[in-house]
Amino acid sequence: MKKKKGFLKRAAGMMMLAAMLMAAGCAQSSSTSSGSGSDKGEGSSSSVKIGFILSQTGTFAPLSEGILNGFQLYLDQHNGTLGGKKVEIKVEDDEANPQVALRKYRQLVHAQKVDLLVGPISSAVAYALRDEVEKDKKVLIDANAAGDDLSWGKKSDYVYRVSFSNWQNGSNAAKYLAEQVGKKAVILAPDYPAGKEVLRAFKAAFEAAGGKVVKEIYPKLNTNDFAPYLQEAAAEKPDLIYAFFAGSDGIRFVTQYKEFGLKGKIPLAGSLEFGDELITQPTGEAAEGIIAGINYSPYLDNELNKQFVEAYKAKYGKLPNVFSVEGYDAAAMLDKAITEAGSLRSENLIKVLKGISFDSPRGPIMIDPATNNPIQNFYISKNTLKDGAIVPEVIETVEKVTMPETSPFE
Amino acid sequence: MSIFLAQLLTGLAYGMLYFMIAVGLTIILGVMNVVNLAHGTLFMLGAYIAFTFINDEVNFWAALLLAVLLTAVLGLVLEKLLIKRIYGKELEQVLLTFGLSFIIADAIEWIWGTEMHTLPVPGLLSGSLSIGSTAFPLYRLFVVFIGCLLALLLWYLETKTRVGAIIRAGVDDRAMVSALGINVGLVFTGVFAFGAALAGLSGVLGGPLIGMYTGMDSEILVTSLIVVVIGGLGSWKGSFIGAIAIGVIETLGKVWFPSLSMLTVFLIMMIVLIIRPQGLFGREVA
Repeated sequence: MKKKKGFLKRAAGMMMLAAMLMAAGCAQSSSTSSGSGSDKGEGSSSSVKIGFILSQTGTFAPLSEGILNGFQLYLDQHNGTLGGKKVEIKVEDDEANPQVALRKYRQLVHAQKVDLLVGPISSAVAYALRDEVEKDKKVLIDANAAGDDLSWGKKSDYVYRVSFSNWQNGSNAAKYLAEQVGKKAVILAPDYPAGKEVLRAFKAAFEAAGGKVVKEIYPKLNTNDFAPYLQEAAAEKPDLIYAFFAGSDGIRFVTQYKEFGLKGKIPLAGSLEFGDELITQPTGEAAEGIIAGINYSPYLDNELNKQFVEAYKAKYGKLPNVFSVEGYDAAAMLDKAITEAGSLRSENLIKVLKGISFDSPRGPIMIDPATNNPIQNFYISKNTLKDGAIVPEVIETVEKVTMPETSPFE
Repeated sequence: MSIFLAQLLTGLAYGMLYFMIAVGLTIILGVMNVVNLAHGTLFMLGAYIAFTFINDEVNFWAALLLAVLLTAVLGLVLEKLLIKRIYGKELEQVLLTFGLSFIIADAIEWIWGTEMHTLPVPGLLSGSLSIGSTAFPLYRLFVVFIGCLLALLLWYLETKTRVGAIIRAGVDDRAMVSALGINVGLVFTGVFAFGAALAGLSGVLGGPLIGMYTGMDSEILVTSLIVVVIGGLGSWKGSFIGAIAIGVIETLGKVWFPSLSMLTVFLIMMIVLIIRPQGLFGREVA
């Protein structure tokens, strides 16, 4: 038996080692060098170097892919130039970790000398980058991170969001739902900052419109099994369930909602994720009937969107999703800003980025100078099944959804 | 009351899924002293293979069979080509299987892209059973059934068959078994392929519940390691009991202490390790 004991000890040691390897893969220490002094972009260069900080590994990978695809498509349509300058792209993976992101940021800004930055997916990363770009006076186009505070307490003259904020995402459909669907709601979101921000925005708007949130449920991020939460929510017998779940969480939530017999029994509504291709394509029929407040769908009826969808399908062989359009719009906004500023100097760029407006496949966009967040239309839509695919049918357009200038939650 | 029953059943179904996820890992560890860190990736691969076949209009059950077969073949090839060279060298095993997991995961991303997918529930099982006021999906009952069947099969193989006897003997004294004229190498190859097949099987059966996305391989691996540690290293019986306990406690924990749901699994592991450091069914470590 002696041999056996030794083995068990060694096996335990191997597991420790495995755990350490896993940890090393996830959390690399940040580099200690912190460059000082800011590199001023050359004002009259004929090319522009753009650094992307995205999350290319893990669950955020498809989001990053969408953003890059959209950006690249815009470049293809404009001879590889923005504002008349040849574009060179450098892409770095932040692993959705602020420490890694800061290291990649320093590489891009100090070693690669990029002129400006596009990124990140995660709001935690965005908050970390925000302080750095402020110090280095580099313009960051936020192509996804939705953290509300980027527009309020942590607003920076150097950060401009082209996507949407959690506040916009949570609040836009609340009035419609309270007036048209029901007054009594159970709401669910993952237990992390974005989840809390979307739900607080929904709750405030829903209750202002006469509704009542009877229960808030926060499952952990990456929940495999929503069954107990669904059972708990259904036990309240609400008029509707409102939920915010992105990525694989969203797919599981929507499929399990149907599996546990809630579909068709309690109306399900949600944030824009529930009307987006990334979730409705894999869930298929299970997503039918969900009411979502979306800011984009490939089926939106406008000329620019038709061209965009056609070109996107031709290049990538699939429909664009909300992230593709974020990338496309980031390029469109930079194109206009560089043209108008006539230079890559941050001081000039930020003058035109404040209040800049342009047409997007989503509809008209204007960056609100009070929040550096886009004023945009949202579309209350209902997922319908057409030829085996889920199409979000627009019921009502909520025009010019604008963030309040300061946080209403303090 | 009916809600409690439904939640208990939910926990049981989830525990069975945990068991199926972990059992391949624990068998390979118990028999071959190898911690197969590519286990989560083989799970993922099984799901993706089935996904491809189902998209080509192959029926779910045929796709399940093909995915299990293909992951078994891959396991066989890996053992023959690589793993068998490093028996008894723990560090090399950890590095090799960990490296393999990266290679296979990258290949998956290369072939199938980064989009998330999910497997459809087979038509036969898409209905649900009503328990009082709540509904319970038939597919989950099916998962419970398969989990029990698998445990029964393992028990039978281990205690009632010649192969089981050889494996038990091989675990205790490999040299002696070889001296009796039994080809232990062949048995080990078979066990590794069987473990890989179990990973593939659980990947397909888990597909409709968990879905598929990049990065799931490491989540699955961590889950399996926890089940293995709680159950006792290398004991499939321990994994069975441990997985069910985790499933039920985690599910009820989500309802009763929602804010602790991130911790429950680790709390269970901590308590088990404090009281029984060798795990529920593990052999005593001095």
